[in-house]
Amino acid sequence: MDFAALGLTLRLASLTTLCLLLLATPLAAWIASGHTLSRRIVQAIAALPLVLPPTVLGFYLLVGLGPATALGRALIILSGHPLAFTFWGLLIGSMIYSLPFALQPLIVAFASVDRPTLEVAQVLGASPWTIFRRITLPLSRMSFLTAAVLTFAHTVGEFGVVLMVGGDIPGVTRTLSISIFDQVQELQYSAANRTSAALVALAFIALLFVYGLGRKRPQLV
Amino acid sequence: MASAERGPSLSSPTPHHHFAADLRTGPLHLQAAFDLSAPWTVLFGPSGSGKSTVLRALSGLFQKASVDFARMSPSGWIAIQGKHHTTPPQKRNLAYAPQGSSLFPHLTVLRNISFATDITRKPSPRTIHEILTLFDLDSLAPRMPRDLSGGERQRVNLARAFAVPEPTLFLLDEPFSGVDRAMRDTLLPRMQQHIAQLGVPVLSVTHDVEEALLLNADVIRIEQGSVKDQGPAARVLAEERAAMLTVLL
Repeated sequence: MDFAALGLTLRLASLTTLCLLLLATPLAAWIASGHTLSRRIVQAIAALPLVLPPTVLGFYLLVGLGPATALGRALIILSGHPLAFTFWGLLIGSMIYSLPFALQPLIVAFASVDRPTLEVAQVLGASPWTIFRRITLPLSRMSFLTAAVLTFAHTVGEFGVVLMVGGDIPGVTRTLSISIFDQVQELQYSAANRTSAALVALAFIALLFVYGLGRKRPQLV
Repeated sequence: MASAERGPSLSSPTPHHHFAADLRTGPLHLQAAFDLSAPWTVLFGPSGSGKSTVLRALSGLFQKASVDFARMSPSGWIAIQGKHHTTPPQKRNLAYAPQGSSLFPHLTVLRNISFATDITRKPSPRTIHEILTLFDLDSLAPRMPRDLSGGERQRVNLARAFAVPEPTLFLLDEPFSGVDRAMRDTLLPRMQQHIAQLGVPVLSVTHDVEEALLLNADVIRIEQGSVKDQGPAARVLAEERAAMLTVLL
């Protein structure tokens, strides 16, 4: 078992989950708050990682994070070095790759909060922010857990984007899935088997948790 | 002032609120205007006539529609919604009990009722416990809305409106819908007494003739989005009252 890769994977997945929930919450709230064309366009763009091959996403990220683009140059100035083949580059790549998994459950949850309930809260004196904090967020807490578990599990399992953006640097960008690939390349099948079995168990526990949440979901009035 | 036509003449010479609207929502074209001058006014009319739409418009839930809504203060009329100015719903200080209760499903009865005081941090005109007692809800305070019957939910809905701090107008949409007759007869005098003490006017919606007559209120008859009549319940609802008595006798 490659414990350096395990530690790196868990660190990457935790940070990706945290950053994505912070980013996806306001984005999902905005998308769920209306039916305009601009919202549908943003929703479609945010869902692209679901259908694009990870290598395509990884390729554009590699180019985007480099000195060829304005964003890449800005990031280089901010961080002092190119982000490709670094942990932070990997984090940005993971966030984009897992965005739909954080965003989709939150959009569904926010959109399903009963509109008359929100309206009465407003007439009773609640500002839009108070309504979001006191009504929408508590009613969506199960979806936050679902989004967090799915994002975490999806980040743990990513391969193509990681390889394209991060390469295979031990302790820096070599995650568990890359480690398995290396072990197979080196014909270390039993080591690959142990790591793979650990990932299967992790994915199964994550899914069991999500489906368990679904069963416990309280009845909404 | 109003884009829609003015309503019929008033039963009292000193109006405290003025409302006029010209808006379309679904198949309904609400084109109504009236002044409120009685302590308790009832909007009366059949289902789909636009009664609830009036309450929603007063609440500010149609921000972009053509609505004129103003309140009389000692210094004169204060515009709440009009061509050049619209106060958002949360700043109108309305004690609103919507149709269908719409309780907050994740909050207990007590937290539902104290919602307005919790968010505005203003004291309620009466303590929350007095409001619970007013609506016979003491024993239900720790319960969740999903564990209540329809009538109990409606009482919580009313109590939540009555706990709004410093309201300027009560808006009660079908206040006794789902509440049994005995409970209604118990609650009504208590509510009237409470409202009289506060000195805050009420606009309620009903299609129940008996309820409108019991309240002895000013009645605005509304049909197909237009005001057809306004005046004391005994006059405006004379026909319905006679029909009801015929059935009883």
